[in-house]
Amino acid sequence: MDSALIPEGVKRCPLPKFLFGLAIVSAVLLWGVYAMFLCWFKGLNQTNMNDYYGFALWIWADLAVIALGGGAFFTGLLKYIFKVDELKNIINFTVIIGFICYSSALLILAIDIGQPLRGWFIFWHANVHSMLTEVAFCLSCYFAVLTIEFIPNILENRQLNKVGFFHHLAHNMHGVMAIFAATGAFLSFFHQGSLGGVAGVLYGRPFAFREGLLIWPWTFFLFTWSAAAFGPCFSLTVTWITEKVTGKKLVSDKTVHLLAKISGWMITTYMVAKIIDTIYWATVTAPSMGFKMSHFYSNNGFYGYWILFAEIILGGLIPGLLLVFKGTRENPTTRLAAIILAGIGVCINRWVMVLQIMAVPVMPFDTWALYIPSWQEVATTILPVAYGIILIALAYRYLPVFPQEVELNTPAKTAAE
Amino acid sequence: MIHDKKAHKFGMVIDLDKCTGCGSCMVSCMSENNIPFKEDESNKLDTLTWMRVFKLTNGKSFPDTEVAYLPRPCQHCGGWGDHGHSPCVSVCPATATDYGYDTGIVSQIYTRCFGCRYCMGACPYKARYFNWWDPKWPEGMENYLSPNVSPRMRGVVEKCSFCYHRYQLAREKAYAEEREIEEMEYQTACTTACPSGAIIFGDLNNPEHKVTQIVKPDPHPDAMNKHVVGKSRNPYVFRLLERLGTNPKVYYMSEREWVRKAGDNYLEGEWDKKKNHHGSSSSHG
Amino acid sequence: MKVDRRSFLGLGLGAAAGIAVSPVAIKLTDDSSIWTQNWPWTPVPEDGEITYDHTACSLCPGSCGLSVRRIKGRPVKIEGIDGYPVNNGGACLHGIAGLQYLYDPSRVKTPMKKENGRFKAISWDAAISLVAEKLKDLRRKKMSSSLACITGSDKGSVNALFKRFMDAYGSANALSMPSLEGNLALTAATLHGADHTIGFDLENSDFILSFGAGIIDGWGSPVACFQANASRKERHAKLFQIEPRLSNTAALADKWIPIKPGTEADLALGICAVLLNKNIFTPGEFGTGFSRFTAMVQKAYAPAKVEATTGIPAAQIDALAQAFVKADMPVAVPGRGRGDYGQSLREFAAVQTLNALAGRLNQKGGAFVMAAADYLSFPEAVMDMTAEAGAGKDKLAATVPQFFDTLAASSAPAVNALFVYNANPCYTLHNTAEIKKAIAKVPFKVSFSSFMDETAMECDVILPASTFLERLEDVPSGAGLSRTVVGLSRPMVKKTVFNTKNPGDAIIMLAKAMGGTVAESFDWDSYDQCLESVAGDIWDTLSDEGVIVLSKGAPNETVATDFSFLSANPAGAGTTGQGDFTLVAIDNLRLAGTVPAASPFAIKTVSDKVLLNKDILVDINPDSAKAKGLANGGDAKLTTALGTFKVKVNFDQGIMPGVIAMARGLGHTLANNPFAGGKGVNVNDTIGPMIEEGSGLDAAFGTKASISRA
Repeated sequence: MDSALIPEGVKRCPLPKFLFGLAIVSAVLLWGVYAMFLCWFKGLNQTNMNDYYGFALWIWADLAVIALGGGAFFTGLLKYIFKVDELKNIINFTVIIGFICYSSALLILAIDIGQPLRGWFIFWHANVHSMLTEVAFCLSCYFAVLTIEFIPNILENRQLNKVGFFHHLAHNMHGVMAIFAATGAFLSFFHQGSLGGVAGVLYGRPFAFREGLLIWPWTFFLFTWSAAAFGPCFSLTVTWITEKVTGKKLVSDKTVHLLAKISGWMITTYMVAKIIDTIYWATVTAPSMGFKMSHFYSNNGFYGYWILFAEIILGGLIPGLLLVFKGTRENPTTRLAAIILAGIGVCINRWVMVLQIMAVPVMPFDTWALYIPSWQEVATTILPVAYGIILIALAYRYLPVFPQEVELNTPAKTAAE
Repeated sequence: MIHDKKAHKFGMVIDLDKCTGCGSCMVSCMSENNIPFKEDESNKLDTLTWMRVFKLTNGKSFPDTEVAYLPRPCQHCGGWGDHGHSPCVSVCPATATDYGYDTGIVSQIYTRCFGCRYCMGACPYKARYFNWWDPKWPEGMENYLSPNVSPRMRGVVEKCSFCYHRYQLAREKAYAEEREIEEMEYQTACTTACPSGAIIFGDLNNPEHKVTQIVKPDPHPDAMNKHVVGKSRNPYVFRLLERLGTNPKVYYMSEREWVRKAGDNYLEGEWDKKKNHHGSSSSHG
Repeated sequence: MKVDRRSFLGLGLGAAAGIAVSPVAIKLTDDSSIWTQNWPWTPVPEDGEITYDHTACSLCPGSCGLSVRRIKGRPVKIEGIDGYPVNNGGACLHGIAGLQYLYDPSRVKTPMKKENGRFKAISWDAAISLVAEKLKDLRRKKMSSSLACITGSDKGSVNALFKRFMDAYGSANALSMPSLEGNLALTAATLHGADHTIGFDLENSDFILSFGAGIIDGWGSPVACFQANASRKERHAKLFQIEPRLSNTAALADKWIPIKPGTEADLALGICAVLLNKNIFTPGEFGTGFSRFTAMVQKAYAPAKVEATTGIPAAQIDALAQAFVKADMPVAVPGRGRGDYGQSLREFAAVQTLNALAGRLNQKGGAFVMAAADYLSFPEAVMDMTAEAGAGKDKLAATVPQFFDTLAASSAPAVNALFVYNANPCYTLHNTAEIKKAIAKVPFKVSFSSFMDETAMECDVILPASTFLERLEDVPSGAGLSRTVVGLSRPMVKKTVFNTKNPGDAIIMLAKAMGGTVAESFDWDSYDQCLESVAGDIWDTLSDEGVIVLSKGAPNETVATDFSFLSANPAGAGTTGQGDFTLVAIDNLRLAGTVPAASPFAIKTVSDKVLLNKDILVDINPDSAKAKGLANGGDAKLTTALGTFKVKVNFDQGIMPGVIAMARGLGHTLANNPFAGGKGVNVNDTIGPMIEEGSGLDAAFGTKASISRA
């Protein structure tokens, strides 16, 4: 029925089947929307946050989704600035993933603040010393960049492309995309870093605080690095899921292996830096504030050394090394395990850098605080996932996202691959 | 025409050997500042208590148990080096909280705060509170609200202001009479309420004020920690989490060693080395 | 004009672009943030001229002077009056929260009459007539002595008016609730002479030996005590606190002496024994029974015996005795916690005897035996024959707990009408279930309460009293204060918030409605006029200054001490029930144990180790708790002779093993008050009374109990 909208040369499932799938996801989305309205109209008492847990599930979701969306800027940087041309086969998809991730982050922020109608004060009454100000500006600008990067792909829809103006606009935008990619990378460097800075500057919170370089705590650089390192893994994971759901191969192994290798090396080198940073913090920084490392991992009902192990070994070194070594990288099973572990690893890191900070008592007579999100928080966190699925589904169905789709799915060619 | 020429640095010293844990300071603060209340205030993680009295214990078992109470208002930190970069002020993205260099007081603008709660995460003293609900008073109780302090709306952060409105009233009066404010003209609600006189409030920059005479703050950075300024030269006086370099303006006093030790975090053996060091000057006492 | 898709799109895009470039978006954004700063439901308190007006607080027997800041006459803040001779600028959290009582919407707003089990609002005239008719009826039947009256205390003109009504009406059954003041007056009467009370010069003493008195936990005049305690450091004064639990007073004491619950009197007598044995006492005017007492106490309370009873080593008892007499200005203080409920005359007398033996009576820093405040001069009540007959009859009981005992035991109604003012016996007396059953036997009950509390709910008519912030009233000191001060409570609002009256006015109206000699005895137009006339001598000072000091410093007379009561070695307060624990009721300053219940602000300050959601936590030693398989903060079932109660458990290293402490002041059933009502357990539900022979006091300090995991 909608075959006029579907890109040339590819097959898509029948519209009713597609709509049915969308309807299921939409139901989940609507549940999230309901929770969102509850939060907006009744206030943040709809959550289980409290004065000790001012930053909770949503902020974690924000940081995680932005870290996972780091595949967009990093792939863009590699393709347009470092001219790694092979990545052109996946760049459209990483942009869409990035777009989803950043729009989700902005949406969650709009729900998370106590007075959303005043949210623009962060621009109008900006405090230049605050890391969050930096985050807000760069996040917004980068979202604009992602939108600009996404637009050409939209304009390449079969019907839209027939409009002369749109066709030429898309073509010209592709031409200057390098500038946007560079801008995007620059902005990302800063806001990814600033998100790390959000935690690292807290000199009242020994668990979070790091020394650093000039005004930037080490967590600033570690966050940018980890976003660049782990983001591509998320892009590869979503690609894999999309391939499974659609039953088609969408990106060639060569592209996948290349991105995986780059990511593997980034992860491994990041982990070395992270381990050095952790050791320094545990042996110098925290003790100078009067804290033994065990203070942060004991005497409470949840946080133990297991989480450090999970972040650094299970979600860090292991996936990094699996992707560095050709054998495990090119084996689909171990590669899948690696990219999933990597995604989990970076999520754990963001969780630790938001929620464990909040849980740890600083005054000697203060208590640990633990927290379980309310259903409204869970629903509004799943909302962007549902929205992301819908957007990817629509983009995949109607836009030429994957340049290699046709060649990978023509029987003769696939046999030869 | 006399103006407040010299910068003030309002602070307090609380004698923990006099504090009885009676709670008058808490209620006086609630009443003075139009603080709302809910039916169930037993969850101390979401109750608005600008002034909160903590109960400390020496951790020993019966019959050697000892207990002390510690009232904790906002500490009005001066930040590293006491330059006005309080942990919370530095991080507020909308400048809804600001450091007053003329008074040393960290302000909070309710109408500008959009409730991101970053400042709450930054504060190690948990002195900042969020309005998770819209304040609602039982019918008729709105009649006792004071016009000097704005009632807040939900979704914004609030905290102790060292009763800044009392400073404004005292300053207006002094200005009209062309003189400086006198020590007892500006006192916070918790100070005036304390029936034991455990809280002493005044201008740490004024050597004649009682708080300054008790605390004897050292204006030089601490030799052992350059971020720390204003460390007390009184061996019984300490500040909470002093070694973080927050430079709070609330000092505490106790002749009980375990109480002083409970004010900060120490690695094993550190306390015994530190406890005899007070003030960076080489003279003692 | 043909509008096709292209032109429509073009128009739409053009319009959107135009709006985007105009200031509309910016203006709306700015406006929306301003809306958030001006929601109509955020109150904007009215501003105006500031005045500071003085009054006196009567929430507790402390009688502090309060300064109320008012904006255009509207009270907004309460603090203490600097220089006031009771509290010198300080105030307790309950007084500071006074405005929450004033404006509490759950107050009784107008007179109420119970019809078919539900309360109906009626006018004052109707209410007064109703009560008068019932009372006149009783009088006609020559049953005037079956009217009983329970008030919170017997001090001040309002209580005097209630007593006067009873006299003129013809009943001797005017009683006041257990109180520290009452216990001290009884002690003074027993040991030294009638119409006296005892004051403790804590602010001058250099050694306070407190037998569980909660000196900073609400004992006496709380703020005066806080200040006496606070000056200890400068005065080099010591405080030794004797009690089973590390209360706040014990925590700040120089020494905490843990003692088995209920054995404080034994310790006091043991110390007396040491003083007499070692002849280190100060001889004085020791009258009847001294030698008998000396013999008895040295035999029955020798240190070894007392060690076995109290758990305190004999050597320490000896050392305490020596330290007590070696101090320059020692004083021994009786009255566990607030010193009102669950006390025994034996204990008070033993401690006061210690003061006598140490020569501390009427000495600076010691115990002052003071004449009861006597500043009111009422004209004689006019009494007709009925009145003479009725008032001449014996009282049904000496104390309120005994009164309810008698009521419960009687088959024929011993009491046909009851007044309750400034008291809540259905909540504050032990074994509340029995109290409610007993009170139900009284066919006609009138409450003068401001709040719909447990007792008011049982009554037939409520004549609601205005709160202290709405009325003129004399507020005399007491409760162990070493000075005699009378303060003046003044209305802090232009008119009462609700349709309530000063209880003095209510009684005058009632008396007038009674007609005859009763009305003649109340020949005043209003309470205000009455007060001015009966306080005649001191009225000028009182109304000008708001306060007058009638006595201060040690009374200039020697005091005789009568030892006969104790020389008979009266029995100690035991415990009822069974179980391997002793449950004691304790006083928490932040909760109000009597009337009125704690304010929302006060409840907010209560620790989550005392009240968590709707559960009360009881303190228990961790070793004892673990032996019973209890978890810290976990649910438990507490069983006493009166039933099983659902509680949570708080591990407290500051309490003796084998003892469980439960705070007074929770477990209220209050209509429409979700702040103080419906939370926790009323400890008075769990403990049964133990009437002390001779005094009639309910001496139950606790009860035996058992506890298990829920």
